Amino acid sequence: MKLVQWVTIIVSVGILTGINYLLEENINPYVIRVVVNCGIGMILAMSLNLVNGCAGQFSLGHAGFMGVGAYTSAAITTVLALSPFFKTDMGVGCAIVIGGLAAALAGYLVGLPSLRLKGDYLAIVTLGFGEIIRIIFLNIEEVGGARGLPGIPPKANFFWVYLWVVITFVALLRLLRSSYGRAILSVRENEIAAESMGINVARYKVVAFVISSFFAGIAGGLFAHFQSFIDPNSFVFNKSVEAVIMVVIGGMGSLSGAILGGIIVTVLPELLRIFEQYRMVIFPLILIVLMLVRPMGLLGHKEIWELFRKKASS
Amino acid sequence: MTALDQNLIGGDFKIDALSISFGGLKAVNQFSLHLKPMELQGLIGPNGAGKTTCFNLVTGVYQPDSGTMVLNGRSLVGLEPHEIAKAGIARTFQNIRLFGDLTVLENVMVSYHMNVDYGYFELFLRTPRYYRIEKEFRDKATELLKVMGLETRKEDKAKSLPYGDQRRLEIARALATHPKVLLLDEPAAGLNTQEKAALMGTIANIRNLFKTTILLIEHDMKLVMGICEKITVLDHGDIIAVGTPREIQDNPKVIEAYLGVG
Repeated sequence: MKLVQWVTIIVSVGILTGINYLLEENINPYVIRVVVNCGIGMILAMSLNLVNGCAGQFSLGHAGFMGVGAYTSAAITTVLALSPFFKTDMGVGCAIVIGGLAAALAGYLVGLPSLRLKGDYLAIVTLGFGEIIRIIFLNIEEVGGARGLPGIPPKANFFWVYLWVVITFVALLRLLRSSYGRAILSVRENEIAAESMGINVARYKVVAFVISSFFAGIAGGLFAHFQSFIDPNSFVFNKSVEAVIMVVIGGMGSLSGAILGGIIVTVLPELLRIFEQYRMVIFPLILIVLMLVRPMGLLGHKEIWELFRKKASS
Repeated sequence: MTALDQNLIGGDFKIDALSISFGGLKAVNQFSLHLKPMELQGLIGPNGAGKTTCFNLVTGVYQPDSGTMVLNGRSLVGLEPHEIAKAGIARTFQNIRLFGDLTVLENVMVSYHMNVDYGYFELFLRTPRYYRIEKEFRDKATELLKVMGLETRKEDKAKSLPYGDQRRLEIARALATHPKVLLLDEPAAGLNTQEKAALMGTIANIRNLFKTTILLIEHDMKLVMGICEKITVLDHGDIIAVGTPREIQDNPKVIEAYLGVG
C-alpha cells in the first residue's frame, strides 16, 4: 500500500476516535443509539446492494445472514466464552469477524439455488431461508431460544461500527472497480452475453452472495454487541424488507446510495416521533412519494461524487 | 501483449452432423461445416431457417442432441458457454446484448476478465499487480476501441450509443476475448445500405488484423457475396447448398428457398 493510503487510514481512525470521545462524553445516549444504528443500517444496505443492486439477483433474506452473524459472534462471547480474551475489545472484534465468516458460509449455501432461480422465485427462496434461520435460533435453547440471549459484552460502540462502515465501503468499492466487479455487473446486465464473453455467471452469483452475507454477518455481530441483547425477533422478515427499502431508496447498484438509504430508513422514523401515533403512517407515505419522484432511487445507478462531476462539467 | 496480438493464426473449426430438436421440431438437422484457419464464411438462409440456433449450439447455449464440434483438435461438445468462450469462440448477438449500464470501455474490459491473474485480496489491498493488470486491460481495450472507431465514446454508457456504434461495440467486445473463431450474427441488421457496406469492409479488415476465422450469418444474400469465400445455405434446419458465392447465386434450390417455387 502507498503512503497516502496509510495516512488516510491513520487520519480516519483518528477522526472516528475523536467523534467517539465527543459522543460518549457529551451527547445523550438516545442520539448515540440512533447514530450507531445508522451505521449498522449502512453496512447492511451496502452489503445487500452487492446482491440486489450489482449482481441483479433478488434477495429477501438478508436479516437471516445478519442473524447468523449476530448469533455466532454472541455465542462466542457469551455462551462459549472459550477464554477471557473474548470479553476484550479485540476478542469481540475477532468474534464479530468469525460471525461474518459463518454468515458467508450461509451465503454460499443460499447462493447455490440462485444459480437456477431468477427474480421473484429467488426472492421466495431467500425469504424462506431467512425464516428458517430465525426458527432455528428460536429452537436452540443454548442461545436462549425465544427468551433471547442477554449479557452480550457491549463492546461495539460508535468507533467500531463506523470503522466497519469505512471498511465495508472501501472493500465493496474496490471490488466493484476491479475486473471481478465488472464480472458481477455484467451478470446483472446480461447473463447470456456475460457467459459468451467467458464469465462464469454461476460462480459470480455465488461470489456476490458470499461477500454480501459476510458483511451482513458483520452488521449482525455489531448489532448484537451494541444492544448486548438479541432474540430471534430482531431478525424477522421485516428487517430484510427494511434492508431492501434502504437499497431501493438509495438507488440500486450505488454504494453511496445504500449509505444514504441506511441513514434515511433509520433516522426518518426517529424524526417522525413528533407525529406520535401517526408516525408509521407518515413514514410509508414519504417512501411512496420518494419513489414517485425518483423511481430509480435517490442516486439512481450513480455514486454521489459522479452526480457532482456531471454537474461540474455541464 | 497488445489488443491485436493473437496466439494463433485463426482457428480450424470442424462441425459435424450437429442436430437439435425442440419437441417434435427438428430445428437444426445434420449441420456440418468446416472453417479453415483465417477463412471468412457465410451462413445464410431465410427467416427461421435455424441460423441463430446453429450459433447457440456452437456456443453452448443449447446442447446438441447429436454431432461433434472440434476446435483445433479439442472437442467442445458438452462445455459450458463460458468454457467455450475461453476455448476461443466468440460471438455477437442478432438482438444486441450489450452491458447497457457499463461504459463502452468496461464492456470491452469484461472480456479480458478470463485472463485476470490477481485475486480478491490483491484487489482489496490494491497491490502493484492490481494496478498493472488494470492498466494493461484499460490500454488494450482503448487500443481495440480505436481500431473499431469507438475511442471517442469510451466513457459513455453502452446504452447511450447510436445503433450502429452498438453493433460495432458488440464486435469489439467479442474480439477482446482473443477469439480463434468469431461468429457474427446478422451484424448488419438494422443498418442502412451505406452503413452495411462500411461494416462489411470492417469485417473483412478484422480478419486480417486480428487473424481470426470468421463465420457470418446474414439475412441479405447480396451482402455476403462480396466478402465470403464460401457460403452455406440453411433452410428449415437443413443445409441445402454449400459453395462459392457464384455457385450459390445460381443454385436453383437456393433461389427456391428465398423466392418460393415460381
